[in-house]
Amino acid sequence: MKVRRTLYIYLISVLLCAGVFYNAFAYDFPKWFPFNHARALDEWQEKVFKGKVLYAIELGQEQGFLVAQSNKASSGLIHRMKLDVRKYPMISWQWRVKKFPDKSIKSTESGGWLERDDYAARVYVIFPSWNITNIKSLEYIWDEKYPEGTILTSPFSKNIKLIVIESGTRNVDKWVSEERNIYKDYQKAFGRNPPRTVGAIALMTDADNSLSSAETFYKDLKVGYQNGQ
Amino acid sequence: MANNSNLRKRMFANQMHKEIFSLVFSAAIIPTVIVAVSLYYFIFYVTAEQIGIPETIAYHIVPAANKVTKMLLLVIPTVIAFILVIAYKITHSIVGPYDRVIRELNETLGGERKGPIMLRKNDRFWPLVSAINDLIQKIEQ
Repeated sequence: MKVRRTLYIYLISVLLCAGVFYNAFAYDFPKWFPFNHARALDEWQEKVFKGKVLYAIELGQEQGFLVAQSNKASSGLIHRMKLDVRKYPMISWQWRVKKFPDKSIKSTESGGWLERDDYAARVYVIFPSWNITNIKSLEYIWDEKYPEGTILTSPFSKNIKLIVIESGTRNVDKWVSEERNIYKDYQKAFGRNPPRTVGAIALMTDADNSLSSAETFYKDLKVGYQNGQ
Repeated sequence: MANNSNLRKRMFANQMHKEIFSLVFSAAIIPTVIVAVSLYYFIFYVTAEQIGIPETIAYHIVPAANKVTKMLLLVIPTVIAFILVIAYKITHSIVGPYDRVIRELNETLGGERKGPIMLRKNDRFWPLVSAINDLIQKIEQ
């Protein structure tokens, strides 16, 4: 009897601690990243794939923005969160591509598919899973060639879907605003409802596969709100 | 059918044998599985979480995880078979002499046999049987 009571107390304590721990990391949404102060990247971690991309805050003009310059490199900035995508499905940001990676430079191995997997601008929405082979990711990209609305599967994994939301060079060096419904985009890309939780968002400008260079600016990234909010 | 029944009889001497076997097997296999799953989970999940970027995970971690999974699929049945054999040997060395002690004690009590109870070299309960043999010897004197 005493053992059972102790066991119950232990279980309740564990559950309470888990609840407190979980809520300690709860976020206030919407989360806004204006990239307009010197320490704006403190909330972001850089993750390197192949070489480091230069990520820096430019404060001098237009109330500040994030500059990403890739020279044959691929690294991203990641911000972890726990976002209930069914409640708060919206994400928005502004981006401005200065230079696209030159994908004509190298396109030999794997029929050029892998070499073409460079984009001037990517915004990731990452859905974690305890099973690492089931981690899903949506990537919003700006590509020179693919038409808007194209959904591509990454050459690295079928769990990574790329959605072309801005196409061509007509808006090069101009700020372009984007707003997306993550929930609906996931349904469209994967053909099923998304997992409840978004575990992270990330930004990347890469030019490692094409061995070229790319440059993009990002600002006003806002995530975790309802449509029309 | 009869052969199956005989085989089952030979595998487990009685219900207690079956229960002790299940206990020993569970006691070995459950921690093994928990440790293996935890290690697998922590190594790959935590690494993937640290890496963060999905392409990097897909390029570096997933192939390693798949390789380890294939190896585990080969190793786990071998480990389970090994644990089964060990559990069977342990339980057999417990239940076998236990049964024999009771049977031979009953025979001694019924006057069907005389002399000490015999155990095999690897059987358990040597101190108990030795004490019982002393008692039988004393009674017989």
